[in-house]
Amino acid sequence: MAHLLREKGFNTFVIVGGLTAWRKAGEPIEGVPENDLVKLPTFS
Amino acid sequence: MILLSLMARHGYALTFGLLLAEAIGLPFPAAIALVAAGAAVASHTLWGPYVLVAALTGLLIGDTVQFWLGRYMGWALLGFLCRVSINPETCILQSAESFYKRGKITLVIAKFIPGVNTMAAPLAGSMKMRYWQFLRLDVAGAALYTLTYFLIGYVSRDFLATILRGFRTAGRAMEAVVLAALLVYAIYRVVQFRKNKMYRVVPRIQVQELAMRLSSEDASRVLIVDVRSHGYYDSGAARIKNSIRIEPNNLEEELKHLPKDMDIYLYCT
Repeated sequence: MAHLLREKGFNTFVIVGGLTAWRKAGEPIEGVPENDLVKLPTFS
Repeated sequence: MILLSLMARHGYALTFGLLLAEAIGLPFPAAIALVAAGAAVASHTLWGPYVLVAALTGLLIGDTVQFWLGRYMGWALLGFLCRVSINPETCILQSAESFYKRGKITLVIAKFIPGVNTMAAPLAGSMKMRYWQFLRLDVAGAALYTLTYFLIGYVSRDFLATILRGFRTAGRAMEAVVLAALLVYAIYRVVQFRKNKMYRVVPRIQVQELAMRLSSEDASRVLIVDVRSHGYYDSGAARIKNSIRIEPNNLEEELKHLPKDMDIYLYCT
């Protein structure tokens, strides 16, 4: 995806280790807002 | 050959074990085991009804475990299962889309579709399907799957025996097949390597470096973007503070809203 964004002209970088590394380094995180959660259908 | 010989000695236990293993997501050759069991029944080494009971029991126990794990672990389990798939970011969505497109009938045919077969039961659990409804559809799916491969083995016993004899006598041909397979694998690895090399042109940044930039005056030019897909199904999921999300499966639309005058830092799990 990063490669694709670069092709489209966005100045893109990749965070090494992703969220896991960020969390391990003690950097701030937040809960995913309820509105951003993807709702998939349920059978009930 | 080894499987056929094992099947003759431990047929019922082997059938049960391999089908249970496949149902809980392990990459075991359950279909081949069923074909071998069918051939063993045709040659009167095993008794058909016992084989079918062993196979169905293994599948239903495995699927039931996956169903309840899906119900109580939700997307965390699906994310874990998807992590070992070829395309982790779209795995859940593709499996879910299969449910959208085909509806509940997916459970009946799921075992024939690679990828979806592992995801179907936990998806049904996650999507709050009633257990008895799941069980009814799963019994139909398991029976269809079991009977299909069992019958293939049963009716092609002579054909399988001919192939096995051929394998024994055509050692050189087998060597050629193995060499060809190795060659294809080597080409695949080279293509993967070149693809990865292409991706390496994207600059990477360490967490500490980015954290320093965020605490500098330059922070306003930083945009952190979460590109996970399966991180967004679990209520209670976390993300980097002030990051935004791009849905990887809807990239074209998402790109329209991204600023080009900012430095974009992508992350996933």
